[in-house]
Amino acid sequence: MSAETTAHASSNRLAMNRLGLWLFLLSDAFTFGGMLIARFYLWGNTRPELNQQLGFLVTIVLLASSFFANRSETAMQFGDLKSFRKYALLTLGLGAVFVAGVLFVEWPLAGAHVPVNKDVYGAIFFLMTGMHAFHVITGLIFLWLIIRKADKGLYTAQKHWGVEAAVVYWHFVDVVWIFYYPALYLIGNLVK
Amino acid sequence: MEDANLEAKKKEKYGAGVTILILLAVASVGEYIIAVTGQNLLKVGADMGFVLILIGVFKAFLVIRDYMHIGRLFSNGEEH
Repeated sequence: MSAETTAHASSNRLAMNRLGLWLFLLSDAFTFGGMLIARFYLWGNTRPELNQQLGFLVTIVLLASSFFANRSETAMQFGDLKSFRKYALLTLGLGAVFVAGVLFVEWPLAGAHVPVNKDVYGAIFFLMTGMHAFHVITGLIFLWLIIRKADKGLYTAQKHWGVEAAVVYWHFVDVVWIFYYPALYLIGNLVK
Repeated sequence: MEDANLEAKKKEKYGAGVTILILLAVASVGEYIIAVTGQNLLKVGADMGFVLILIGVFKAFLVIRDYMHIGRLFSNGEEH
């Protein structure tokens, strides 16, 4: 096989990988979108009593993690493995803070006002934040895997599809939260 | 010479990432202020929903275009 053919096949594979990832994200977006529609259908123009400051804080943490994810991918594109590791670990750390904030601080606080088994408020809140937190946790595992693989020297500036996929997935989780945060915490009249 | 070019390109990409972060942070703070002010002071919280969704669409657009690089999907896939 000539070098040109090999390069063409590699380029084709990358294009297919990207298409596959985006199709997966699109299908996942329908799941998240369905839950968002359920929120507007069941809650209407109301919202339960939730800690808005805490919601804002975890939103900023997730945005910051997306910024560092972008930096880690850029570092890898330029073969700067040391910076990649630093930024990927920062992304991982901020992601862990987000999950801890939602599961161990927000959930107990929200549970006092909106128990999961009482009405549609608790059911929708815990469904949406739970599904999102599950995706954040899988993103954290994905990030941890690419850091391990990078440590083993398996990625280069020329070949790092795993890094690109993990980072794109991480940003997708961020995009979901961009819509979930106002839908859960900000939109609607407070229900006492 | 080539190293200097690469370093300049890397700095440019890092800079673009910072710009997007600033835009996202400003939009997030704006979203929060609009919601809280609307609910507590103006008592028009419920009417702010559409504005907040528009801000969300703007933020999502930035992330999808500049952080997720959706444009790569339509390129010829030769970046790496």
